Formats: sequence, C-alpha cells, structure tokens
Amino acid sequence: MSSADAATDDATTVVDLTDVTKAYELGGVVEALAGVSLTLLEGSYTAVMGPSGSGKSTLLNLIGALDTPTEGRVVVAGQDVGTATEAERARLRGTEVGFVFQTFNLLPRLTAVDNVALPLVFDGVPRDERTARARELLADVGLDDRTDHLPTELSGGQRQRVAIARALAADPALVLADEPTGNVDTDTGGRVLDIFDDLHARGNTLLLVTHERHVAERAERIVHVKDGELVRVEELPEVDA
Amino acid sequence: MDPTEAVRIALRSIRGHKLRSALTVVGLVIGIASVIVFATFGASVKAEVVNDIEGSSANNVYVFATPEDDEGFDQVIQPVFTERDVSELESTRGVTNAIPRGTVNANSLTHGNDTIARQRVTATTPETFDRGSVVDGRGFRSGADEVVLNEQAARSFDENVSVGDRLTLSLAENRTAELTVVGIVNGTEGQLPVSGFAEQSRVYVPIDPFYRTVVESPTVGVRQRAYPQVTVVTDPTTTEAARTAVESYLRADSDARELIPGGTTLTARTSGDFVAQVASVIERITRFVTGVAVIGLVVGAIGIANIMLVSVTERTREIGVMKAVGARNRDVLALFLVEAGLLGTIGAILALPVGLVVGYAATRYAEVTFALAPTWMVTAVAVGVAVGVVAGLYPAWRAARVDPIDALRYE
Repeated sequence: MSSADAATDDATTVVDLTDVTKAYELGGVVEALAGVSLTLLEGSYTAVMGPSGSGKSTLLNLIGALDTPTEGRVVVAGQDVGTATEAERARLRGTEVGFVFQTFNLLPRLTAVDNVALPLVFDGVPRDERTARARELLADVGLDDRTDHLPTELSGGQRQRVAIARALAADPALVLADEPTGNVDTDTGGRVLDIFDDLHARGNTLLLVTHERHVAERAERIVHVKDGELVRVEELPEVDA
Repeated sequence: MDPTEAVRIALRSIRGHKLRSALTVVGLVIGIASVIVFATFGASVKAEVVNDIEGSSANNVYVFATPEDDEGFDQVIQPVFTERDVSELESTRGVTNAIPRGTVNANSLTHGNDTIARQRVTATTPETFDRGSVVDGRGFRSGADEVVLNEQAARSFDENVSVGDRLTLSLAENRTAELTVVGIVNGTEGQLPVSGFAEQSRVYVPIDPFYRTVVESPTVGVRQRAYPQVTVVTDPTTTEAARTAVESYLRADSDARELIPGGTTLTARTSGDFVAQVASVIERITRFVTGVAVIGLVVGAIGIANIMLVSVTERTREIGVMKAVGARNRDVLALFLVEAGLLGTIGAILALPVGLVVGYAATRYAEVTFALAPTWMVTAVAVGVAVGVVAGLYPAWRAARVDPIDALRYE
C-alpha cells in the first residue's frame, strides 16, 4: 500500500509488513488481519485508528514480535518475525521494540527504577549500568524524585511515564503504544502525548494505536484499519511544535 | 539472564508473600527435619550399642552351636564341647584361655530367711572373672563351695547380698549346697556380648564340683563334662588368626563336630561379628523409620509445587510483561525454578538445626549418647533443595509457556 511518508526518502525502514494475514481458529477461521502491507520509516510517527475488533491490536502484536503472521512477511529491525525463533523474538521485543500499554503493566513489586531497568535485565546489562540508565530515563520524563517508589505509590500519569521510560530503556528502534492515554484523565493524557512528541522530535520511531481522533492527530499520519484491512492512510499536515 | 539477578527477583517474590512462603517452608522443614531426627537418633543408638559391645571383649571368640541357615544369635543349648575340646582350644595358637560355660538346673536360692526361686545358675571357670569386672571381693576358686553374684543378683534379695554372706543353693535332684559369696561382679568375660544390654541377674558357681553334664567323647571314648558354650580369649593382636584356627579345629576334629544335633552348625564369632550384626539390624530399622520420614518430604514437595502453581496463575500478567520486555521462555523457566529451589534451600537450611535439636532431645530422652549422621544430614539438605527444584519443574514449565498476548489481556 502507501509508503508515502513525511520522513526523507532515504530513511531506513524499521518495520515492513507485506501482505500480512493473521487468522485465528475460533470455531471457524477468523481473519483478524487480511493482506495488510505497511512500512514504518525511522523517525516516523504513525497512529493506527479503528473501531474495536478492527485488527489494530493484532497489528500491534505482530509488529511487537509477540505474535507471528499466518501469511505474509513482518520484518522488524531487519528480522523476519515469522521465521524467528522464540528466543530471537524475545530479543527483538527486548532490544528493538519498546511497549507502552494502556494499563501500564508495571511489575507491582519493583520500584520505578527497577521497572525501567527490567528490559536491560533480560538483555544482560550489568546492574550498575542499567540502574544509571533507568535513572536517566526517569529524569527525562520528569520523575527523578520518584525513582524508588513502587507503582502503587504513583499516580496514573506517573505510572505511564515510568512505562514510557521502560519502553526506551534498551534504546529500541521502535516504540509501540497501545491506547497510552486510555487509563488517564485528559490533562494527564495530554502530558503523555507531549512526551511522545518529544520522543518524535528526538528521532524515535513511534507507532500509536488509539481510537481517539484527537490522540491520533498528534501523529504525522493516521492508518485507518477496519475489518482486518488497511482502508486508508491519512497524511496530516506538519504542525509547528 | 544473570543468575544473581534471577535469585534477587525470586527472593523478592518470596518476600512478597511472606506468610505463604513461610507456611510452604514449614512443610518442607518438617519433612527434612524428621529425616534428620530419625537418622541422628538411629546413628546415636547404633554408636551406643556398638560401644557397649566392643567395650571389654574385642579379643574374645565365642564358640557355640547355632541352627543352620540362621543369621541371628540363636544359641543351641546343647552340651557339645567336651573337656577335650576345651583343652584343645586352649592350646590353639594365639589363645590365652578357653572358658567353658554351662548351666546347672536349680530350684531356689536362700539368703538368711529370704528364699527366691532360681531355675538355673551359671557354671564356669575362675578365668571368667579375669577382667576388671569384679566390683567387690574376688572370683571363686575351682573346687570350692563358693559363689559369685552379679550386681543384679545381689540386689534381688530383700537384703542386699555382700561378700562373706552365706547362700543356700537348692539344686535339682534334692541336692543342696552351702555357698560362701566371695565376689560381686558386673559382667564377665565368658558371656555373649549381646546379653549386655539388659543385664539379667546371674549367679556363678565353679564347674567343679557343681557342673555334672557329661557325654562320651567320640574321640577319646571316655565320659567327660560337656558345655554348650566356650569363650576363647585370644591375644588381641591375633584375634582373627586365632578365630581361623579355632574354626578349623571345630570343623576338623572336635568332639563337638560329632555331638551337634542335625540342622545345627558350630559357630565361632568375635565381638566384631556381633557388632556388625547388631549394627546392621539397627541400620535397617533406622533406614525404615527414616524412609517413613521421607513421606514428610514428599508432602513438603507437594506444598512447593502447589504454591508455585498458584504463583504462576497469580503472576500470569507479570510473566506477560516480562516476555514483552524481552524475557525468553527459558528466563521465565529459570526464574520460577530458582524461586522453588530457594524455597527448598531455605527449608533445608532451617530444617538442619531443627532436626539436630530434636534429635539431640530424643537421644537425651532415650539416654543414649548423641552421635551425628553426617551422610544423612548432607543427603537431607541436598534432597530438600532437589525437592524444591523438582517440585518447581512443572509450574515453571507452565510459566514459561504463558502466551504473552493472553497474559497481557489477563486481569
């Protein structure tokens, strides 16, 4: 489909989906995705919109290497997700992709700094190094005074900022956000989106799934998904920050 | 993943559920501690008994007849060792003494006005008192109307018997003998080591003139006294050689060889043989009881498996998150195995002192000297850790197989 992009033409491809189909066996075959092709270039900011059941979560799971396609190719950071082993996909998730979830998904018994450092634990980064990196990232999202707090001691917005810091821990090629403002109030959601703008400005590649138009409009383009198909790619005009 | 990090994460999880972890560990502690208690107690009893037996008579060879195919101590009370056998045994190389021993049937024993029933008294030679077993007085002389009592027998009258007292022994066939008590002893050279645990009251009289059991010697052809048991005292440095010589004499040309009834065999046993036999019996009992205690360990293992399964279900979402941020299946597997192994290790470490303290208390209660069973201790601790890991295998495998997509949806 469209590979038009606001980034420069010679930018590196981070994600490349070619004719991707994902089918589930649910008392008959259900196609959650049917022949979707999509390219994300380095430094791009893309929003995926669609009603629930449209296949946007499936799309996110495939790009996040949590799942494998039934047909077609999903290439993330040069690695074919469909042919990768379980361990290779785990490495991909740990080092090339950063997840931000609607419900934050922080580990309740870990402090903010340990939560942020978690991807680095599985990547084998020494303890001192990953703690230093986690503190740095928490400072970047304005939480330098909450580093040793448990998630339960943090507000929803603060938790989501911890989750964003965690997504960036391994310096991934791509940040995936699934309804990142879905569980916080409008003001807090606005601040979360400001952070994404910052990340974009600093050259991070972002893919954000939402069903809210005003959230999607913060991106450079909106990919509309419906019934498992990519129905429209909407380029948004450049907004001055 | 770094193993120390796995331990840190597992410890945090254990600390996160203090009561649950504590109860799980208690189950395992009971299992491991019981094993240690029974093993320690068994080892202590064994050491005590072996010590008792070995105490005085390591250089003795006990010669008697036993039923064939019998491993036990069953002694055939048949007078098969003739005077000739005794003197031949005594002249065997490495033998210092051969002490024959028999019983004389009796009716009663009277001390002053106090008469007690007594079915038999022991007839033996003065050499039986050679060791430092005489508590008071001396051993009897051969041919004299003298008697020696052990401490139990001396106490069995209303008034304690002491050296110099007179006793009237009523024997079978209406014979009576007036005897002078010349010594009080505690144990004698000639008695079998196994009879030392529950020392019975014993009355010793000299063979001459009281022992009258005679048989015709098949080799010499004359009637002479014969005894059911002979204790061969050897030079301690050559006990084994002397035993071999004794055995070959018994097999080759003893009177006893001819005199033993069918189905019995002549046996020459050293103290070491008795020790080995008794030790092996105690060992078997200990193993059985300890085996029963292993059931406790199994229950402990089930406790760990159960709690780990609960933990996996409870932490499904957490597992999903860990996988989303890069944990491989084997990282998750390792985390849960380490957690189960840690529970096992903590249980084992706590069980060790508990088991030793209870085991010590048991030995005090049973009045035996405390002895350690190091092999069992190491085994119990190792088994504790292994039990944790094995019990954690299935839960950990379940955890590793959690689908991150489902897990992240899981509430």
